Amino acid sequence: MNGKDWLVIFEEMRKNIKIILCYPLAIVFWVFFPIIWVIPFIFQGRAFVGSLASSAFKDLTGSAQYIPFVLIGAIVSTYMFSALYGIGNSFRMESYWGTLEFILGSPAKKIMVILGKAASEGIFSTFFAIAQIFICIFVFGLEVTLTKFAPILFIMLLLLLGLYGMGIGLAGITLQIKESRGIIHALDSLLFLFTPIRYPVQINPITHAVSLFIPLTYGLVAIRGILLVGRPLSSLLREIWLLLILDIFLVGFGLFIFTWLEKRVRKAGTVSHY
Amino acid sequence: MLMHWLRAINAENIKEWKIEFSYKADFIRSLIEPLIYVLPYVFYGIAIVGGRNSAHLKQLIGNADVITYTVLGYIVMGFLNTACWGMGWSLRKEQWYGTLETIFCAPVPRWVYIAGMATHSTLHQGLMIFVQALVIHAIFHLTLNVSGLLPSLALVALMLVALYGLGIMVAALALIFKEGWMVSEILHSIISIVTPIAYPLAVLPIVLRKISVYLPTTYGIMGARHFLMDEKVFFSTGQAFLRLFLLGVVWVAVGLLIFMIVDKKVRRDGTLAYY
Repeated sequence: MNGKDWLVIFEEMRKNIKIILCYPLAIVFWVFFPIIWVIPFIFQGRAFVGSLASSAFKDLTGSAQYIPFVLIGAIVSTYMFSALYGIGNSFRMESYWGTLEFILGSPAKKIMVILGKAASEGIFSTFFAIAQIFICIFVFGLEVTLTKFAPILFIMLLLLLGLYGMGIGLAGITLQIKESRGIIHALDSLLFLFTPIRYPVQINPITHAVSLFIPLTYGLVAIRGILLVGRPLSSLLREIWLLLILDIFLVGFGLFIFTWLEKRVRKAGTVSHY
Repeated sequence: MLMHWLRAINAENIKEWKIEFSYKADFIRSLIEPLIYVLPYVFYGIAIVGGRNSAHLKQLIGNADVITYTVLGYIVMGFLNTACWGMGWSLRKEQWYGTLETIFCAPVPRWVYIAGMATHSTLHQGLMIFVQALVIHAIFHLTLNVSGLLPSLALVALMLVALYGLGIMVAALALIFKEGWMVSEILHSIISIVTPIAYPLAVLPIVLRKISVYLPTTYGIMGARHFLMDEKVFFSTGQAFLRLFLLGVVWVAVGLLIFMIVDKKVRRDGTLAYY
C-alpha cells in the first residue's frame, strides 16, 4: 500500500461520512432501533416467566438474566447490520445513485475503495454501539464497569474484522448479481437464527452446530462472558483463538471474492447492468 | 371508469409479479424467510421457559403452549409487512428504477397505483404466510381449534383493510422523506412492540396498553388466537369485528387524506424527482 492508496481510502471514507451525515434521521435510527427491536423479547420473557430471571435460561447461558442477554445481542448486531447493509450493499447503492461506473472506471484500486467504505462504516457503527451501551446503562440498568471496557473492545475489534471481511465478499457478489438486497436480507435472518444474538443457540442441536462456524457466536459468548458472568479475558482464550482463525479466513476469502468478481464484471461488460 | 381503474390496478399487480419473477432466487427466499424470521422468537421462548409449556402464560391467557402462541402472533403480524414494506416501499422503489414520474403521469388517480401495489403485496404476503404456517405446523405440531379458522380469517381480512390505510400513509411519507425505508421500519417496529404478538397486553406498561387498543393488529392477533387457541381477550367477538371495521374506515380515510395532501405538495413544490 502506498500513499495514493491511503488517500483513496481516506477520500472514500470522507465521501461516505458526508452521505451518512445528509440523513440525520438515519443516525438517530441506528442509535435507537437495534435496542427497540429487542423490547418484544423483554415483554415475551415477562409473559412466559413472570420475572426478570429464568433458571432454565441460567442452565443454558450461565446467567439467569435474559434482559442483559438480549441487550448485548442488540448492541453487537449493529456491527452485523453495518457489514451486511453498509458494506455488502454499498456498490448497489452506487448503482442506484448512478455513480458506480465512475468509481469502477477510476484509476484507483477498487479494494481501497471498499476499504474506505468499511472504515466509514466502522466509525459510525462504533459510535452507534457506544451510544447504545449508554442507553442500556441508563435505561435498562446494564452494569458495565470501566475495567471491562478494554477486553470488550478487543473482542469487538476481532469480531469487526470477521464481519467486515464477510461484508467485503458480499460487496463483490453484489457487483455480480446486482439485486443483492434479497441475499443480504436472507443472511441477516440466517445470522439471527444461527448465532446467539437473540437466544442461546444450544437450545437446538442444528442451530448450535451451524453457529460454531460463525464469528458472531464466539464474539457474543466472549462479550457476554465478560459482562454477565465476570469471566476474565484469560479464560476466554479458546473463543479468542477461534475468532481469530475465522477472521483470517473471512478477511482473506472476502478480499479474494471481491477482487475476482470485480474483475469478472468489468471483463464481462456488465457493470452498468441493473 | 371503474373498469378502467380496475384494469390499472391489475396491470400494476401483474407488473410487480413480473419484476419478482425476474429475480427467482429472491422470490424463493421470500417464501422461506418468514419461517426463518419466527424461529428465534420460538427458540427464545423455549429457552426461557425450559420447555413448551409456561405456567405463567397459562395464568395470563388460559393456554400454556408458548410455541403455538408465539407462532400464531407472528403469522398474523406478517401482514404488517404488506402495509409497511409492500405498499409503503412501493414509491421509493419506483424512484430507484427511475419510473416514478412516468407512473405519476399516467391518466389514473394515484390511489389506483397504491391499490395495485396492495393487491400484489397481499397476494404475495398471503402466499408467504401460507408456506410459513404449513412448515411451522409440520415441525412443531401446533395445537389449534380448526373450527376457529374461518372467523380468524374474517378478522384478519378486516385487519388488512385497516393496514392498507397505514400502507397508503407510509407510501406518501416516503415522497417527503425520500429514504422511505426508515418510515416503514420505524412504524413497523413501534406497532410490533405495542401489538401483543408474543405476549399478552397484561405485561405491557399502561401507556402502551392504551395505545394498543387503537391498533387493528391487536384485534387481529388476539382475535385469531382467541378462536384458534382460546386466548382470554378483553373484547367480545362482536366488539372485535365492529372495532376492526371502524378502525379500517378511520385508518383508510386518514391514509388517503395524507396521501392526497403529500401528493399535491410534492408536485406543487416540484420535489417529486428529488432523491
